[in-house]
Amino acid sequence: MRTVLIVEDEWAIADWLEVLLSENAFNVLVAGNGREALDILHRDTPDLVLTDFMMPFLDGAGLIAAMRQEERLRSIPVVVMTSLLEHVVRDRAGRFRAYLRKPFREVDLMKVIGEIFPGEA
Amino acid sequence: MSGDNGRFATGVPGLDAILGGGVFDGGIYIIQGAPGAGKTILGNQICFAQAAQGRNALYITLLAESHARMIGHMRRMTFFDEAAIPDRMSYVGAFKTLEDDGLRGLLDVVRREVRTRKASILVLDGLITVHEKARSELELKKFIHELQTQAAFSNCTMFLLTSAFDADAHPPEHTMVDGLIELQTSLHGRRAERSLQVHKLRGTWFMGGKHSYRITDGGHAIYPRVEALLETPSVWDSADGPMVSVGIAGVDKMLGGGVDTHSVTVVLGPSGSGKTTAGLQFLTGGAADEKAMLFGFHENPMALRIKAESLKLPLKARGDKIMLMWRPQTEAVLDEVATELLSSIKQNGVRRLVIDGIEGFSKLTDEKERIGSFLSALCNELRALGVTTLATAETDHAGITPGQPLKGVNQTGLSAVAENIIALHLAALRSENHRLMTILKSRDRRTDMRMRRFEIIDGGIVLDADFQSAERILRDISSQGPQPTPSTDLKLTGE
Repeated sequence: MRTVLIVEDEWAIADWLEVLLSENAFNVLVAGNGREALDILHRDTPDLVLTDFMMPFLDGAGLIAAMRQEERLRSIPVVVMTSLLEHVVRDRAGRFRAYLRKPFREVDLMKVIGEIFPGEA
Repeated sequence: MSGDNGRFATGVPGLDAILGGGVFDGGIYIIQGAPGAGKTILGNQICFAQAAQGRNALYITLLAESHARMIGHMRRMTFFDEAAIPDRMSYVGAFKTLEDDGLRGLLDVVRREVRTRKASILVLDGLITVHEKARSELELKKFIHELQTQAAFSNCTMFLLTSAFDADAHPPEHTMVDGLIELQTSLHGRRAERSLQVHKLRGTWFMGGKHSYRITDGGHAIYPRVEALLETPSVWDSADGPMVSVGIAGVDKMLGGGVDTHSVTVVLGPSGSGKTTAGLQFLTGGAADEKAMLFGFHENPMALRIKAESLKLPLKARGDKIMLMWRPQTEAVLDEVATELLSSIKQNGVRRLVIDGIEGFSKLTDEKERIGSFLSALCNELRALGVTTLATAETDHAGITPGQPLKGVNQTGLSAVAENIIALHLAALRSENHRLMTILKSRDRRTDMRMRRFEIIDGGIVLDADFQSAERILRDISSQGPQPTPSTDLKLTGE
């Protein structure tokens, strides 16, 4: 079973994603911001990080930068989900696997995950 | 940007005038209102206005709509600037922190985010959630107190948005914050009207009472009550100069040469008596290069142009020197209309103004008691702006009562507004209607107050040279026997 780490400061979105991914047979971890995400990443190694961009304590750009610093975390694919424009996020966060513009539909998310884990989502 | 006195303008049209100039750096303000009152839009509008000035703004949500939806809605607003996000304008959610770590956790988020993002403006959307989460009144007071300390030490001005409002309740936070602004919606018949009221503002004068606002594509547009905003005119009235022609030779003569520059003249009369014609003559009666405007509630610009053409008045020939501004009385708001009128006069340098149907203002509000002071303030401002005004006002078909020729013409409230009052009458004599004119009032002038008969022909109103024909008509009416007692519904005051 694949593990997905959701990093989202809006609890309602985090809850929705947790339910959705659990129903689709993913093991789900949830962090409320980048700092909490790093705490989780120090003890777990998820297969995918789904992260918001604007968050308290540590934002998406900070989280991606911190993950790049660690060999163990560098290869984990990151999907940024945000209402910001893609170029704004890429200018600040550099490379990441995929971009999802909020608000998105369930089908959009599952399509992106399906491209990262072909045949699994 | 922050001013020398440690305060800054919010950038929301009309709000800063009500706040006496703006809010204080490091102050903490509550904005409250029922759902749909526009708190979120106002919060975003203030943030984006400050971001446009190069300041950093932070919007923290608790139990509010999602950031994606909020940003999606804000994108339609003209103040929204995509380029400001996320560096000068950022959104973070803190409900989970509040849920898990309580009020202390939320304070920690605020402290850290304000510092990290160098925010000088913070909006905390959902104070009611903090209220509900607080275990005691004391904990809530401590939260507000710590927030105040943070605001002061970080020089970050904070706006707390909340839907909680009970007119009889006095929540503890109200006594602690620097300002309390309430957004309200009230129903007048089936029409909803929005109003803003500042209940409290520390350290400065503010404009009390309720002020109308609208939510447009540009966000909140707030219209300070005209009689409060213009309690004293915006500039000193330096009325001097030559007398001004009203555009009707016979009336100028009766008035001893015309009306004073910067004065207000009201022309009263029933429908069909020639008020709009008098207005069009006044409009076109100035110098060729003088900017003139007709502002009306009833006849649209096309109808007025056709009327002027049929009367052979040079409206078309004056081109853009004469403006026609039409404002139907549908969903308009009294102070909004007055603000638009005054702005247009200032922008265009208008010196000669016709208000066609001044009673139309009273139909824009259910607060009839305001109208007397509203018109007084408006007319004082027009004088101060160097505008000479002629306003028409409709009365009933009062007719002429022998011995009491002006009975039924309600002038209450007009004296405070107008230097000159001219009354037009329709007098029925057997099968014929005659038009008569009287000058009821002309301030500080020797005036020929005898009634005149007049006609409307090519070129407009033409008065008989003397009062003989008017007197003959009145005598003949008198010999017809008693007339019904006239009445009027003209009310320029709340009486």
